[in-house]
Amino acid sequence: MPVIEVRDVTKQFMKGSETITPLRDANLEIERGEFVSLMGASGTGKSTLLNLIASIDRPTSGTIVVNGTDITRLSRSKLANWRAANIGYVFQTHNLVPVLTAYENIELPLLLLPLNRAERRKRVEIALGAVDLLDRANHYPRQLSGGQEQRVGIARAIVADPTVVVADEPTGDLDETTSSQILDLLQRLNRELGTTFLMVTHDPDAAAIAGRRLRLEQGRLVEVADHVPVPAALEVR
Amino acid sequence: MFFRLLPWEYGIRNLFRRPLRSGLTLLALTTVTLMVLVVVGFVRGLERSLAVSGDPRTVIVFSLGMGENLEYSSIPMGTTDLLAASTQGIQERYGRKYASPELYLGTKVRLSQDSPESLGLVRGLLPAALLVHRQVEIISGQWPQAGEVLVGRLAATKLGIAKQQLAVGSTLWFEGRSWRVCGTFSAGSGTFESELWCRLDDLQQTLKRQDLSLVAMTLGPTADFQDLNLFCKERIDLELQAIRQTDYFATLRKDYAPVRWLAWLVVSLIAGAGVFVGLNTMYGSVVGRIRELATLQTIGFSRRAAILSVVQEGTILAMTGALIASVIAYGLANGAAVRFTMGAFELQIDSLTLLIGNGIALCLGAGGALPPAMKIFRLSVVDGLKAV
Repeated sequence: MPVIEVRDVTKQFMKGSETITPLRDANLEIERGEFVSLMGASGTGKSTLLNLIASIDRPTSGTIVVNGTDITRLSRSKLANWRAANIGYVFQTHNLVPVLTAYENIELPLLLLPLNRAERRKRVEIALGAVDLLDRANHYPRQLSGGQEQRVGIARAIVADPTVVVADEPTGDLDETTSSQILDLLQRLNRELGTTFLMVTHDPDAAAIAGRRLRLEQGRLVEVADHVPVPAALEVR
Repeated sequence: MFFRLLPWEYGIRNLFRRPLRSGLTLLALTTVTLMVLVVVGFVRGLERSLAVSGDPRTVIVFSLGMGENLEYSSIPMGTTDLLAASTQGIQERYGRKYASPELYLGTKVRLSQDSPESLGLVRGLLPAALLVHRQVEIISGQWPQAGEVLVGRLAATKLGIAKQQLAVGSTLWFEGRSWRVCGTFSAGSGTFESELWCRLDDLQQTLKRQDLSLVAMTLGPTADFQDLNLFCKERIDLELQAIRQTDYFATLRKDYAPVRWLAWLVVSLIAGAGVFVGLNTMYGSVVGRIRELATLQTIGFSRRAAILSVVQEGTILAMTGALIASVIAYGLANGAAVRFTMGAFELQIDSLTLLIGNGIALCLGAGGALPPAMKIFRLSVVDGLKAV
């Protein structure tokens, strides 16, 4: 049974007097433990789909079932609780809370779960170890490099052992070497933790680490064949 | 519905994110709360001064038609004996009735013949006054002899001079002659404390008057005020009126109602200014953190948690200011003497004043933070994540 089922999802929004439809009758199924990358030109709706699956946005029509729950039917407050237990989000710009240390940033999702301090500490230390940042636990984001910040962001996304980790251009803000390290990390975590990963990227090399690659074209999802290179023109912003 | 709050440290540390801005806001909120405390302390002090001045068992008899202006009242000297003889149940001890004939006037008082004058309140009395005005206590010196005056604890404030200038042994000038200060008295923070007390015969001779302003009498437990009231009404020829001392001061309290309203208006205006201070700071704080707050919602914290965290920050800032203001107000303003037409009173920074001041500070903090926090409500998480 797929862990993510997107059925006939359409998303529209108004931009001035114009109606924009970034997603039109999109359908997608992702199996548990899969690593899926999603590509597409700017404005094709990659992030929109990601946000819909992450339940921070709602579709205009269609249903999205994640881990057996139709998230389009949940109220806002129930969605927040559901998100805390099921979704890990990796942002392009890390989005760490500047007044909290690396440890405290990673601990944030655990505060929403029924865990005591000792259990939280154990989980945070495991997550810090997984991203190889145990020695930076008490550093504030301003004391970390871009790559380290993103690793903290990844640790925060996986610490609550979510059903799905969504990553929106996780290497978009990093240099080539650091990007490579982060992609390796994501791949390793997917392999070792068995967590489902859905990554939005416009970088074909980044997308290549995924077990399955999808492309959004004119609001519809298209499977990318293993050996067919993605046309560069489509991917350049 | 139950929801998890953001960590307490998050709110606290956010206050140190922009230290200068937070510091200035704290200063402004401290000033606002201090001003509120002083104004409330003023109102409380004024009310207390009038409230404690009256004794429910004491009755004042004075000229008919004088309203509450005792200075203009004039009754014959023999009124005291007449009332004492005609009224049943006047408190009595060892054959001495609790009836105090008094001559009361507002007059210009100076420290020396050529020094600037100020308005003082002078009361000529007999030692029996101490029986009637039970809250009065001589705290230094002795009861006045001829040419001497006993000064109230707040008389210096009423006269606008330093306390030391009314020390025992110093001299005062009023009604064309000098008076030696022979002692100081307190009256449980009542209005008497701003008065100058001298011997009744001494004052009558000085003023060349043989009349009285009033007779104050203490009724015994079995006495009925209405008997005395009826006597005054029946004896039209005496042109007297009787009023309970508590009722007299209650009337004065009513007269000061506009002052109280004005004070509350000032409190409202100050508080209004404080809200804008809080609003300005918290708007700045929220606008700079929209993406961060959206991130927290993406992680799973509810909007209410994010809003509450912003409100918590404003409240912490305001309550810190309130704490500092309370310490300053209690340390420096509590008991400070203030002059007013009826005499003088002390600012009262008591528990109620602190409660009101801190309550207003709490409203300033929460009220100032709420509109900026509601900005989070209006913005979707996706739009928040796109914010710069």
